[in-house]
Amino acid sequence: MLDTLRQIETPEGVFLRLRAAGALPRAQAWTIDFVLRLVVFSAAMIPLSLFGSAGSGVGALLMFVLMWAYAVVCEVWFGGQTLGKRAMGLRVVSADGAPVTLVPSVLRNLLRVVDILPGVYAVGLASTLIDPYGRRLGDVIAGTLVIHGGELPVGSQVPKVAPMAPPPGLAPDEQAVIVEFAERCGQLTPQRQQELADLLQPLTGCSGEAGVQRLLGYANWLLGRT
Amino acid sequence: MELERITVALRPRTAREAIDLGAAMLRAHARPVWAAWFVFSLPIAALCIATGWLLQLPWLATLLIWWLLPLFDRVPLYVLSRAVFERAPRWRETLRGQRQWRWGGTIASISWRRIDSHRALRLPMELLEGLAAKQRRERWRVLRRPIGADATGLAFGCLELALVMFMGAFLFVLLFIPPELLPDWLRGSVGGVAHRTPEVTGALIAAVAYLAWSAIEPLHVAAGFALYLNRRTQLEAWDVDLAFRRLRDRWLAAGRVAAAVLLALACAWPHGAWAQKTAAPAEHKDVPVTHIEDTFAAPAGKDDQRFAEAAAQAFRDPRFGGEHKEHAWMPRQWSDKPKELKPGPMPLEGIGNALALGMKWLLLLLLAALVVAIAVYVARRARLPVLAAPSRRQAVLDTHLEAIEAQERLPEDLAGATQRLWSGGRRREALALLYRGCVEQVATALQLPVEPDATEADCLRSARRLDDRQQRQRAEAIVRAWQYAAYADRYPRDEDFERLLDGWPARHGSAA
Repeated sequence: MLDTLRQIETPEGVFLRLRAAGALPRAQAWTIDFVLRLVVFSAAMIPLSLFGSAGSGVGALLMFVLMWAYAVVCEVWFGGQTLGKRAMGLRVVSADGAPVTLVPSVLRNLLRVVDILPGVYAVGLASTLIDPYGRRLGDVIAGTLVIHGGELPVGSQVPKVAPMAPPPGLAPDEQAVIVEFAERCGQLTPQRQQELADLLQPLTGCSGEAGVQRLLGYANWLLGRT
Repeated sequence: MELERITVALRPRTAREAIDLGAAMLRAHARPVWAAWFVFSLPIAALCIATGWLLQLPWLATLLIWWLLPLFDRVPLYVLSRAVFERAPRWRETLRGQRQWRWGGTIASISWRRIDSHRALRLPMELLEGLAAKQRRERWRVLRRPIGADATGLAFGCLELALVMFMGAFLFVLLFIPPELLPDWLRGSVGGVAHRTPEVTGALIAAVAYLAWSAIEPLHVAAGFALYLNRRTQLEAWDVDLAFRRLRDRWLAAGRVAAAVLLALACAWPHGAWAQKTAAPAEHKDVPVTHIEDTFAAPAGKDDQRFAEAAAQAFRDPRFGGEHKEHAWMPRQWSDKPKELKPGPMPLEGIGNALALGMKWLLLLLLAALVVAIAVYVARRARLPVLAAPSRRQAVLDTHLEAIEAQERLPEDLAGATQRLWSGGRRREALALLYRGCVEQVATALQLPVEPDATEADCLRSARRLDDRQQRQRAEAIVRAWQYAAYADRYPRDEDFERLLDGWPARHGSAA
């Protein structure tokens, strides 16, 4: 099955699913960061230009900080998100899903020198397009990953219906699907709800609107409502 | 459409994740997508470049190729839409398939709707659903509502990426020119050649732009298609549908239900059956092939000669050419350095210089501090006894122990103290105190010492050995309440808490 997930199994047998981010959201995040830094630098240079050579010296220092330290500071101390990444809901993590630490962060940002070749990030773009987890060369070498950190879209509250015990023998993932159906049925048309419920006619024993109601009843029971 | 045959993992995704899914789809089917893309678009692009060349309008070729991108978009969409549900078609099938897809939407998007930032999203709806115009408008409104902004962002993002590819190609070539050759070459090529041979430059730019779009435009289409799939998954709960089918199959196979009536899925993929008719492959076969090298050398050489002659003539003019010697007396102390290199006095220069001096010393101090810090670090690492500082962690641990010891003695009136803490809002402390009191009371009742490393489970175990059944239940209730508070941050209601306080062990004077 085609997906953008990176699955990691912890020693406890728990599967962590990292939702790897690809070229397009990352390019947009970078653009936001670039514009922000440009604005900050320009705004700082206006008063600094009054101070002659000292001003341009401070300006050069500021430029250095914005180019090299900004990303590292944001990634290590502000949850793996520069402002642009925050706006796009992205996050830098280490390849095993742990928060990114200082050395990998410095490494991946230093390797921008390679990714930026030949001046417009063409190497980085090609790398993110080819790599299955959308990593640029700096990420590959530093062992980091950019993931979607935002919340997944969720359905609404399960509508309240008299709870009803489902037939025994449902596996946990099957129970989860019934609850998910109940959560999302607010977004579906009534016809579609009935189509879906009819699929489970062998289970519910009714069809049409009655089947939908019965599935909602199961979901209420599974959620522990009384 | 047979949903069971889908080869993409369906799950709720944000729109941006769906865009990345498009990239993954493209990566998985890169070969058939680009094979069909180049077979279809290369002749047209060559035709565009030739048109620009023949009409002497160097910008026309790039514009034409850009303008025709929505036409090319049909090809990757055909391959991907088949690949997602069946298998990726070969390029011959893809080209044949173009005949069966309607052309209305494509004609609209290469004429009055060319500047449409939602193109990638609109494309699958128009080509795959094939609805009538009125229904299509309704459908479009439903489809677009929450993801219109993402589709626009996608269009601009792809524009940005194509620009990166385009500039990257030129800068990449520039990277391999030795720097000593660079200035002359730059002057000779970009300035001179572009001016003197606009056709060659125009064709070159159009060709590179075509390659850049070839790299990015399939991504645009794939991401738009993935957005479309994601939106339909949302609207029609495809993932739930699939899971329900699996559940039903398992249920029936397990033989729990004897007979079942299966209803066919009403939602049918439009144009489900594709009549494979024989058709001629692509048009645009005979395009004149132009050799850039042939035309590149001739005019440039001729121009060079003309330029050399003109330059020689110019130098013969006494106003430009010739050498002059002039002698003059100059005072010695004035002639050491030209003044104009220095800019005029800046405002606030005094403050600036003071700041610069201060900064310099600050940086020097920082450097010194850094050196000292490194020296200390190295010395610590080498475990030199001189610099071994007392461990701070030890100190912290000691004070922590003291704090615990200070609280060690339980209050005489346990219930009262707990009640005060609870009503003061310190519910966690209240439960902790109650728990400790309970532990102590259990230990007293069993005539055992209180073990400092006993866990909650140990307490429960020892509580079960109590003779009195009510005491046993009460102790268990208290331990459970404490566990819920400590590990899940869930507190009992006020009346439940009151019940915990009632009688043993909080009021150990009274009977159970």
